[in-house]
Formats: sequence, C-alpha cells, structure tokens
Amino acid sequence: MKKILKGLFILLAVLCIPIGFFIKHEHAVFFWHKIPSIEAIFGIIGALLLIVAAAILASFAQKKEDFYD
Amino acid sequence: MIKPVPPAILFILGAMLIPLLKGKLKQVYILLVPAVAFLDILYLTPGTSWVYNFLGYDLIFCKVDRLSLVVGYIFIIIGFLAILYSLHVKQDGQHIAAFLYVGSSLGVVFAGDLFSLFAFWEIMAVTSVFLIWFQRDKDSLDAGFRYILMHIFGGCALLAGIIIYTVSKGSINVAVMEPSPAYWFILVGFGLNTAFIPIHTWLPDAYPEGTITGSVFLSVFTTKTGVYALARCFSGAELVAYMGGIMAVYGVIFALLQNDARKLLAYHIVSQVGYMVAGVGIGTTLGVNGGIAHVFNHILYKALLFMSMGSVLYMTGKRKLTEMGGLAKFMPVTCVVFLIAALSISGVPGFNGFVSKGMVIASAVEAHMPILELMLILASVGTFLSFVKLGYFAFFAKNPEIRSKDPHINMQLAMALTAFLCVFIGLYPKILFDILPYSVVHYQPFSASHIFGVIQLFMLAGVAFILAKAMVVPHRATILDFDYFYRMGGRGLIWISTVPMSNFRSTLQVRFSRAMYIIVRLAKNPISILEIPTAYVYLRITKGLRYVSGYSSGETYNEGLYRRPIGVGVLMAIILLFAFALIYFIF
Repeated sequence: MKKILKGLFILLAVLCIPIGFFIKHEHAVFFWHKIPSIEAIFGIIGALLLIVAAAILASFAQKKEDFYD
Repeated sequence: MIKPVPPAILFILGAMLIPLLKGKLKQVYILLVPAVAFLDILYLTPGTSWVYNFLGYDLIFCKVDRLSLVVGYIFIIIGFLAILYSLHVKQDGQHIAAFLYVGSSLGVVFAGDLFSLFAFWEIMAVTSVFLIWFQRDKDSLDAGFRYILMHIFGGCALLAGIIIYTVSKGSINVAVMEPSPAYWFILVGFGLNTAFIPIHTWLPDAYPEGTITGSVFLSVFTTKTGVYALARCFSGAELVAYMGGIMAVYGVIFALLQNDARKLLAYHIVSQVGYMVAGVGIGTTLGVNGGIAHVFNHILYKALLFMSMGSVLYMTGKRKLTEMGGLAKFMPVTCVVFLIAALSISGVPGFNGFVSKGMVIASAVEAHMPILELMLILASVGTFLSFVKLGYFAFFAKNPEIRSKDPHINMQLAMALTAFLCVFIGLYPKILFDILPYSVVHYQPFSASHIFGVIQLFMLAGVAFILAKAMVVPHRATILDFDYFYRMGGRGLIWISTVPMSNFRSTLQVRFSRAMYIIVRLAKNPISILEIPTAYVYLRITKGLRYVSGYSSGETYNEGLYRRPIGVGVLMAIILLFAFALIYFIF
C-alpha cells in the first residue's frame, strides 16, 4: 500500500511538469521566469541542495546530546 | 463617550487583578481583557494621543496609523487565542507574565517615541523570560539566563543608539533612520529581537525550553515587534533585505537537522521572520505590505504549530521526534490542526502563508533582486521539506509504544479557532489586504502561474524527500550553532574571573592584611620587631614542609560565598540610584 502511494505521488509529480508548458509567467522579469516549469526544477534541485547542505553542516556541527553539559 | 486608551494599559493593569480572582471567574476575566482590548483598538483613530512631557521631550504612548493598527489587531487576536489555550493553567504567575508580555509588546507597537519604545522593549524581555523559567527545570533556567543576557546586550545597544540619536538629532520620534553611528546601534538592538544571524541564538535556545503555553506567546511577540520596529525605522534598507534572505535559508537548513520538535519550529521562526525582514527591507509598497501581511499570517500558523506540538508534549511528555510517531490515530484534532498549520507555513494555495509569502517574493522580483528571490524560493522548498519531516515523524511514522488522546477542550478550541483563521485568510485574503499599511494592494495571489508554480515546487520537493528521506531522519544529537562561540566565550570569561582574577585578588588580600597586621602589631609593641626574623624562618620551614607533604589549603573560588555580598552591593547601588533619580526629578 505504502509503495503504491509513493509511486502514485511520484507519477503525479512527473505529470504536473508538462502543465508548466501551457501556463506562462505573467510578469517575467528575470530570464528564468521564461523557462517553462522552472518551479519544478527549483523544487527538486533546491530540495537536494538543502539536504546536502544540511548533511555537510551535520558533518562538523553534529555533537552528542549532552555536549554542553 | 469614553476615550479609547492605549491597549498596552489594559493588559498591564489587567495583570494586577489576576491574583485576586479565583476559579471560573478568573478564567472569564482573563478572556475578557483581550476582548475589551480588541473593542478598544477598534475605536482608536489615526493620530497621536496620550502625550506626556518628560525632560523636555514628548513621550507618545498612543501613535495610531495603519501600520500600528494591523500589528495591534493581530497581537490582540493571538493574545486572546493563546490565553484561551492556557486557560487550564493554575499558576497565576504564568498568566501575569503573559499579560505583561502582551501588554508591553502592544506598548512598543503604539509607542510614538524612542524612549517609551525602549521602556516597553525592556519590559518585554524581562517578562517573557518568566514564561521560560516557569518550566522549572535546570535546562529552562539556564536557557532563560542566556536569553536574558542576550536581550540585555540588545537592549544596551538599542539604548546607546537612542541616546546618540537623540543627542545628534534633538528628536526622539520614531522615524526612518539615516546611516550614522546611531543607525548601527539601533539596528543591532532591533536585529537582536528579530533574530538577525548571528545574534539569533537566544531564539532556538530558549523557545523550546519555555512552558507549553508560554512558548505559544514567545513564538509570537518578540520577533514580530522586532519586524514592526524595522518597518518603522529601517524600511528600504537593502542590507536588511539581504539579511532577511540569509535568515530564511539559514533557518531552514538548521531546522532540517533538529530532533526536538519545538526547536525545529523555533528555527522556522528565524526562517519565516527572514521573509518579513526581506519584505520590510525591500521597502516598496508591495514589500512592506507583504512583510506585514506575513507578520499577520505567520503569527497565526506559528502559534498554531506551537499549540499543536505543545499539546503533543502535554499529553505524551515527548518532545523529540525520535520518541514520537503514530499520533494521528490518537490525537486526530491535534493532527488536523497541525496539518493546516504546516500547509499554511509551507505556503500551499488555499492557506494564509501562500498569500503573504507570494507577496514578499513578488516584491523581490519587482525590486530587481534576483539573488533574494532565489533565496526566498529555496527557503520555501526547505520549509515544505521540514514540515513533511515533522508531520511524518510525529504523526504518521510507526511507533507501537505510543498511547495518547487529544488535550483539554480549551486547548482544542484555541487550536480550532486559529486553524479556522489560517484557512479563512487563505481563501479570502481581501480581509487582510484591506487593513495593510499601504491601502492599495496591487497583488493578485490566485493567478494560474503562481498556483501551479507552487504546486510544482512542492511536488518535486516531495519527490526529493522520498528519494533522500534517509538523510533527514532525525537523530539524537545537538547541532552546534553560533551559540557555541558565545558559550565558550562565556565559559572562558568565567574561568578568567574565578581562577586567575580570583587568585590575584585573594593573594592581594592576604598580602595587604598581613602587612596591616604587622603594622598594627608594631604600633602596639615596637620591640616585637625583633620577633619578625624568627617568625619568618618558622613560616618558611612550615611552608616548605607543607609543600613536601603535599598539603593544600584548598582555597578555590566558591560562588556561594560571594553571591550575597555582591547581590547586596548591587541592590544598594540600585536603591541609591533610584533615590537619586527621584530627588533629581522631583526637585
């Protein structure tokens, strides 16, 4: 059941990408506003970037729970 | 007709009656005060009133304009809801601290001059710390002391700035600042309360240690009065706008790593306040409107998040994500309101965060600040990720050991009302737009590109969460922040004062008293000077023997020994200063 839900979610996410090609940004100011479905790219890259940034931070700033005691 | 009073007075004087009332009457009374304050604020008309002359300056206790009104409305609304949430609390002290805290925050909002703003600012710091200390354990006591120390530092910076400003400008009115030494001092003072990086550490340190109901108040007032003060004095400062962007991203990265639910929420305050600071710093009509709209919305969903996580802590005693899980089945009301708050803070269409976050991002685009736009979008992705994480590990992950139920009815009611407001403003933002500082709002939140853009952003971020879930699984750990440097610096300072300085002092003391003793003895009996060489030889020998045998007198610094004399000294100084001031002002 869990796997089906997961698969369905990923499928929906992929399906929502083409919608971006039909909807134009009303006030395109920077060049990326003209790229169709740019938010999808921001979503996946941004999320991975943050997770990696958090992992790097954890590599040196993560200490035992009683570190300050 | 009765003249409306500054709403701060109602809460501050209202607090005095709390200990005199009991039972149901007290409950009705503490709900009635914010209700009366709300009626009062409805009758306030733009302009200045309650002006008093002090040392040749005008103290303005009630400066009313659209900016102060919108912040005043939400402070009183959330004051009512948070009081409803804490209605079951028996300790009068907590209610009094909360009332004074709400009152002084309202005092800051309606202050028209820097002196009264500063006075309320400090009352806010001193009263809010009791909402942490009432938790009554060692962690909260320590965190409270760190909290108050940092706020005293911020207060001193603010006071220094105000004095320099007053001396150089000859005016104490709250107005937009121009770069000068006073500008930087006041910016540090306001920035500390607004959780500027790196002086934000008091926030994620102290808020998770507050009482369950106290943290709801804490999550609302201090940072938002900071944003309000920035909107008054630093609107349009580019540096402030970029600081907002940094706060937004910094907060979410740290939030992703947290295990303590309320600490995670606290880091999200830093991040969300970043949006407000960015909007205010951009300073355009849309920017300030967006920033203040975000203040309004954030107060609602963040208080709701603290209420729901507080309910989990109250009912299960668990505060760490590694100990939670599976609560959706046992605490359905808490779970539903949490989901509404999580969707609101993430900025999902139909919830209030969507409206104001979109305004701030649009204002960054409008002001041609591409980096800031990207930072704010990145923070938005991070917010969604962390709330997927929090929701999943608190309510949906498997945990066969947990058993619980929804909290008291007053807590449920407060959460339901707050959740209703989140959805209502999300669907009908016009009600919020009508009260924003700049009356004409050229912003259309529900455009197709905006709605689908946000949906795409979150769907794909969700995919990334599924793919990289293992990397965000909570661990039992402490994540060091900038407070590492402050704590180590503090420990170093204490070491210097208690070991080398204290040893130096005791050596001096011993030498002086010895010299004094000898002089006294010689004065009494000059012939005894002959005894000195014998005594000296004896002393050397005994000292040498002690050294050889390894005997030590064991004289080290004892905190308890000095607490009372120093405390009495400080108290005397304060009393004298007070008496001096009293005599000075009266005569």
